[in-house]
Amino acid sequence: MGSDADDDYLVRRAQEGYLDAYSDLVDRHGQLAYRVALRLLGNHQDAEDVAQEALVTAWQQLPGFRADSSFPTWLYQIVTRRALNRITRSRITQSMDLLGDVSDASAGPGQQTERNLTIDAVTDAVIALPPPQRVAIVLRHFEGLPLAEIADITGSTVPAVRSHLFRGRRTLSKTLVEWR
Amino acid sequence: MTDPGQPIHDVSLLLSGANQHLACGADIDELLEQAADGYATQFTSHQRDCLYCQAALGEFARVWEPVRSLAAEQVAVPAALKSAVASQIRKLVADVWYTLQLNDGGAIRVAARVVARIAREAASGVAGVRVAFGRSTHSRMAGLVERATLRHRHPNAAVGVLGRTAVVDLAIAVQYGDQADAVARAVQQRAIAELRSRVGLQDVTVNVTVDDVIT
Repeated sequence: MGSDADDDYLVRRAQEGYLDAYSDLVDRHGQLAYRVALRLLGNHQDAEDVAQEALVTAWQQLPGFRADSSFPTWLYQIVTRRALNRITRSRITQSMDLLGDVSDASAGPGQQTERNLTIDAVTDAVIALPPPQRVAIVLRHFEGLPLAEIADITGSTVPAVRSHLFRGRRTLSKTLVEWR
Repeated sequence: MTDPGQPIHDVSLLLSGANQHLACGADIDELLEQAADGYATQFTSHQRDCLYCQAALGEFARVWEPVRSLAAEQVAVPAALKSAVASQIRKLVADVWYTLQLNDGGAIRVAARVVARIAREAASGVAGVRVAFGRSTHSRMAGLVERATLRHRHPNAAVGVLGRTAVVDLAIAVQYGDQADAVARAVQQRAIAELRSRVGLQDVTVNVTVDDVIT
């Protein structure tokens, strides 16, 4: 139940203390939180921790949420900040594991190995980017967000986001060219 | 600037910081953006006649193909994430209210959130209800809940349970065209019946708020 309700309705009910309404928001947007954390941090354990922290923080801060932006945009903000805090604290540089043990049953062993190598190469290249470029690349090219929303999420400006993207794309491309 | 006599470029050289434009004048970063966004084959009028741009876009598209492929992959959320979040929030809201039934074998407690869930599910099954939520205790509501519990009734109560009494708030959205008050009465009756039969609560007050209509 609850799937008929839009985010605004669920947010209002959750602000009034209806935990089930927030639970529906977690059902709907928990994947967003985890996915972004995974792509920014590169390993499942950290991603799960950050997604969990972000979803609990969102609940705690919900009374102050004024719907100036959408709930997903607000959640992107929280997850991104949490992930950046963790990056700053731990300076994670290990190989990314974006998809974990996901395997494609239709692919043969050779194809699977090649696919895993490709995943590792891309993920290593993403995680090697400086944090501002990494955030811009993940939000733009993995989440498909428009520049204005990325600027909103990061508290930046569209020209600044565009600059991070230009630099990030060049760095990422150079790394991938060397890998090929 | 790239060599005007070489339309097929060394892509590494093209991406080095020294180059900003192709020999034709096209901006390299904008071409890279075009390819990264998946529009490498959607040429502008200039690109339709420009071998430099076409070669660069082709190379950039190949370089970005693994990124685009990875971005399209589904990411499975860990099964434990939602329950871990719910568990932490329950601690935060100090949701410590229980029904309490004493018998010769000991005590049976049912958490207020379970009472709220049962009421919500009961409401969800009523014709005309599109969305229903049962409110559990929230930290700032604790005082109200306590008063509600002691007095058995309170218009603003969340779920207050003590012993075999309960006060439950339900917020529902109804189907457009249905009679809201009739749906609300049906919700009230069904929730009360469910709480009596499934939790053994004897004195149940169910406040129903119809706060939205869904078409």
